[in-house]
Amino acid sequence: MRIEKCYFCSANVYPGHGTMFVRNDAKCFRFCSSKCHKNFKMKRNPRKVRWTKAFRRANGKEMVVDNVYEFEKRRNVPVRYDRELVATTLKAMERVAEIRAKREKAFWKNRMSGNTAKNAREAALSIEKHIELVQPKSKTTPNLEEKEKIREKIKVRAASRKLMAQQQIDKAGGASKKKKESRLIPAEGGMGMGMNVD
Amino acid sequence: MIGLKGLLNVIDNTGALKVECINVLKVKTRLKSTGTATVGDEIVCVVNKARPIPANEVIKNPSSSSNIQKIRKGDVRRAVVVRVKKTVQRVDGSVVRFDDNAAVLLNNKGEMLGTRIVGPVAAELRKSKGGAAGAGGRWGKILMLAPKVV
Repeated sequence: MRIEKCYFCSANVYPGHGTMFVRNDAKCFRFCSSKCHKNFKMKRNPRKVRWTKAFRRANGKEMVVDNVYEFEKRRNVPVRYDRELVATTLKAMERVAEIRAKREKAFWKNRMSGNTAKNAREAALSIEKHIELVQPKSKTTPNLEEKEKIREKIKVRAASRKLMAQQQIDKAGGASKKKKESRLIPAEGGMGMGMNVD
Repeated sequence: MIGLKGLLNVIDNTGALKVECINVLKVKTRLKSTGTATVGDEIVCVVNKARPIPANEVIKNPSSSSNIQKIRKGDVRRAVVVRVKKTVQRVDGSVVRFDDNAAVLLNNKGEMLGTRIVGPVAAELRKSKGGAAGAGGRWGKILMLAPKVV
């Protein structure tokens, strides 16, 4: 049994999954799913369909040239069974997968590295373009005197509110100043969970 | 899924190009029988389209000295299905489908009429037992002559 690659999306095709299509020139096409098969029947080019591996590779979305990909290849040289060789291979596979994941992550990071600066630049540009939307209203209102009046009103209201709040605090006295009991008391003596034990 | 009126391409060198199924040689009333032919099944067919026989050849040897019997349009022959468009499920779980329905013509004894096969044939032909060849099953010769068995 062999794990094949899907002709369209390059996903793994495990035994018992997918279908194989044999063209009259004896070329075999394996598909992981009916989705891939249908796309093939529609004569779509996998390099032009965005979700396929072929597209991602062709458009620099994924790492293409690297040593870690050299391991996973079809070899036509049969190898005599050797228990130790299998053990070392299994160990190596794990390690290779680890390295591969690391490199792919680094590649992704590198690919995304310019994005923050680019986004900031774009944001700045759009703000500059539509500055009238973000300017405070005071700037747009021409009458200065009116503005002063409004400001005065706001000041008075704020002061009265502050006063009221202070009065309330004074009335309540120390009760309100008492620290609220934490609900996260460490369970020392079996108590806790915010229970008030007297 | 070849039934009555099913059209098949002929992929041997008998001269027939297209045949139409007129009977599937199966017991159709059996419980698990489908009644339709798939890879490895024998059918009776009529030749719908054949390669024209050159006129000079007919004059030269009307009794057909060559061992390949020439096939004409309208001939009724037996044939074995070697490729089908309908998916075939294999024992290992894989599913295979081909580009077209194709057959190879046989004589009344069940031997191949032609001497050559073009194009791939399905590996399901290996399953049918018996035949004179013994080792390759009933369709051993077809498997041997085919350029590729898929």
